[in-house]
Amino acid sequence: MSLVAGPGRGGHHQPALPDELELCVEKHVAYIKSLDTRKDEYEYWLTEHLRLNGLYWGLTALHLLGHPDALPRSEVIDFVMSCMHDNGGFSAAPGHDPHMLYTCSAVQILATLDAFGDLEAHVNGGKEKVARYIANLQDRDTGTFNGDGWGEKDTRFLFNALLALSLLGMMHLVDVQKGVEYVQSCANFDGGYGTGPGAESHAGQIYTCVGVLSITKRLDLVDKEKLGAWLSDRQLPNGGLNGRPEKKEDVCYSWWVGSSLAMIDRLHWIDQEKLSKFILQCQDSELGGFADRPGDMVDVFHTVFGLAGLSLMKHPGVREVDPIYCMPKDIINRVVGG
Amino acid sequence: MASHGVPRVAGSGSRDTAKEQKKIQEYQSLVELVNAKISEREYTIEVLALTTKLLSKNPEYYTIWNHRRLILQHQFTEEPSTSETTEDNQLPPKQQRILDLISDDLRLLVGLLIEFPKCYWIWNYRRWLLEEAEQRLPTAVAVSFWQKELGLVSKMLARDERNFHGWSYRRTVVASLERLSEKSGARVSMVEDEFAYTTKMIYSGLKNFSAWHNRSKLIPRLLDERKADNVARRKMLDEELELIQTALTDPFNQSAWDYHAFLMGTISPNSSVETVIVRDFTNHDRVIYFEREMDRIKEMLQVDEDCKFIYLALLQYAATYLDIEGGNKYVTTREMRDWLAKLRELDTLRRGRWDDLESKLHL
Ligand SMILES: [Zn+2]
Repeated sequence: MSLVAGPGRGGHHQPALPDELELCVEKHVAYIKSLDTRKDEYEYWLTEHLRLNGLYWGLTALHLLGHPDALPRSEVIDFVMSCMHDNGGFSAAPGHDPHMLYTCSAVQILATLDAFGDLEAHVNGGKEKVARYIANLQDRDTGTFNGDGWGEKDTRFLFNALLALSLLGMMHLVDVQKGVEYVQSCANFDGGYGTGPGAESHAGQIYTCVGVLSITKRLDLVDKEKLGAWLSDRQLPNGGLNGRPEKKEDVCYSWWVGSSLAMIDRLHWIDQEKLSKFILQCQDSELGGFADRPGDMVDVFHTVFGLAGLSLMKHPGVREVDPIYCMPKDIINRVVGG
Repeated sequence: MASHGVPRVAGSGSRDTAKEQKKIQEYQSLVELVNAKISEREYTIEVLALTTKLLSKNPEYYTIWNHRRLILQHQFTEEPSTSETTEDNQLPPKQQRILDLISDDLRLLVGLLIEFPKCYWIWNYRRWLLEEAEQRLPTAVAVSFWQKELGLVSKMLARDERNFHGWSYRRTVVASLERLSEKSGARVSMVEDEFAYTTKMIYSGLKNFSAWHNRSKLIPRLLDERKADNVARRKMLDEELELIQTALTDPFNQSAWDYHAFLMGTISPNSSVETVIVRDFTNHDRVIYFEREMDRIKEMLQVDEDCKFIYLALLQYAATYLDIEGGNKYVTTREMRDWLAKLRELDTLRRGRWDDLESKLHL
C-alpha cells in the first residue's frame, strides 16, 4: 500500500485566487485515495523508502478531514505488519531496513486505528517488542537516540522515540531525564533548538525538542518569551511561515511552527487568519492535495501538514489535531489520556 | 514525495508513457538485483558498483546505503590480491587497501552530495566512512581525510551558505580534527580558524544567520582558550558590537537583529548568556552599554522610521534597561508607548504578541 508516490500531475495553471477560499474536502479525500494506484509512475517506485510515513500522513489527513474510514483498516494494518522486523523495528516498506522514523510512523498508525490488539495478535508480546527496539536505540551516555544501528543521531529520533513510547505506554524503558537534559543541551540563545548541541535553531527541530519537553511535562525549561518571539517572526507578509530567518515560506512550516507555538501557548502571536488563507491557497482545488507554495506540485506530506495547520487554526471542517502527536486529538485522549 | 518549489504542470498529456515504463523497469530490475546480491551476502566490489548506480538514481533509498556499509565492512577484512600490493605504499597492504576503498568512496560521493546537498543519508554515510577510517587506519591518515572534508564542506557552504547539513558537518569535522590531534599528543584547537571563517562568511553575506549563530557558539570557547582577561573580554564585546552595526546598516536584516539581541543578552543581568563574554560588569557598566546601544538604534530611525525591528529592539532593551536602572529618566513610559504604537502600526501580523508585550511592560 502506498500513499506517497506521485505528486498531483494534472493540476491546471492556478486560476486567479479568489478572496474567499474554501477547503475542498472531497477533492483531498479523493486525492489521497488515488495515491495507491499510481504504479505506472516512476515516482511511485522512487518513493518506496517512504511508504510507511506516507501511510501515516495520508491516514492522518483523512482523519482530520473527517473520513477516518476512507482506507480499508485491515489492509492498512496488514501493510504495517509486513514492515515489522524480528528485532521489533519497522522499515519503510517490506525488504527495507528497520529505522526509528518508520517505527514511529507504524506506532502512530496502529494507535490511530486502535490496533495495538492487532499488533499483539500478529506478534505475541508485540507492543513490548517494539518498545524495546526503540529503547535499545537510546545512547545511555547522552540520553539521545540513534536512528538505527548505524549510529546517526538527531533530535528528531529522540522525539520519535518518546512519542512512540508514550503511545505504547512504555516510557519507563528509557532514561527520560537524560533525554530532557539532551534537549536542553541543544538550546540556543534565541530560545530555539537545533539538530544537536551547537546546531542552529530550525523550526522542524524546535517542534521535536518542544515535543519532547511536552511529552515529558518539562515545558518549564523552555524560554517561552524568546522562543515564542522567534517562532512568530517566522510569519511573512503573505501569511505563510518559514523555517529559519531569511528563508522562504512553506506550508509544512505551518505545522512545525504552529504546533510549537501551540505547545507553549503562543499561537495568538501570529495572524492565524492570514496563515489559514495562505494554506488554502496552496490547495489544488481541482484535483486535491496541498503544495509547499501556491501553484506548486502537491504531495501527501504537505497535504497532512497543511490540514494539521488549518486544524490548529480551528478551521471549520477540520477535526482537532493534537499539537504534540500530529494525530486527531480525540485519539490521543483515548490512548494517552487528556 | 515532499516536493519543494516544483511548479504544478498542466495536464498529463506531456508524459511519454512508454518511456516512463521502460525507466521503471530498468530501475526495478536494478533494485531487485542489488537486493538479491545482498541477501546472498555477495559483498563484492561489483555489487558495490551496483549500489553506486542505484543511489545515483535514488539517494534517499536508505537501505542501499546500509548495504554499502555491509559490503565495505566485508571488504575491509579481505586480504588484498597481489596485483594491489605491488605499488610502493607506506602502509601494510591490508591497511592500504582500506585506505584506497575509503578514499575512492569519499571521492565518488562528492558528485552526489553536490547534486543532493539536502539528503541526510549522504552526509551520514560520509560521517560513517570517516569513523571507519579512524578505527582502522593510523591517526595521521584519518586526520588527512578529515582535513580534505574541511575543504569539501567549505565548498558546499560556498554554494549554499545556509545549508544546515553543511554547518553541522563542519562542526563534526572540526570536532574530529581536534579530537584526533589530542590523540596524537598535541591538542590543536581550531576555534580561532573557525571564528575567522564565520567572519569571512558574514562579510560575504551579512544576512547569513547560520554564520552569526556559529559565532555565538564559538565566542565563549574562544575567550576561554585565549585566557582572555576582563580587558580583553570587553574588547571582544566592543568589536562584536561594531561588527553588528555594520550589518545593521540595513535595518531590515533580521539575522543581524537576532545577533544584536544575543550580544545585549550578554550584558543583561540574569540572562542565560550573561557571563558568556564580559564577567565583571557592574550595574553602572550595563547602564552605559544599554544607553549607548539604544542611542545608536534611535539614530537608525532617521534612516528608516518605518522599520519595525528598530521599535521592537528599543522596547525590548528599554524593558531590560528599566530592570537595571529603574530610577533613571533615560527611558520614559511615554516613549515606550509611542514605540509600541508604531510597532502595532507597522506589524499587524503579530498583534497578539504586542498585546502581551503591552501588559508585560505595564504600558
Ligand atoms: Zn515543505
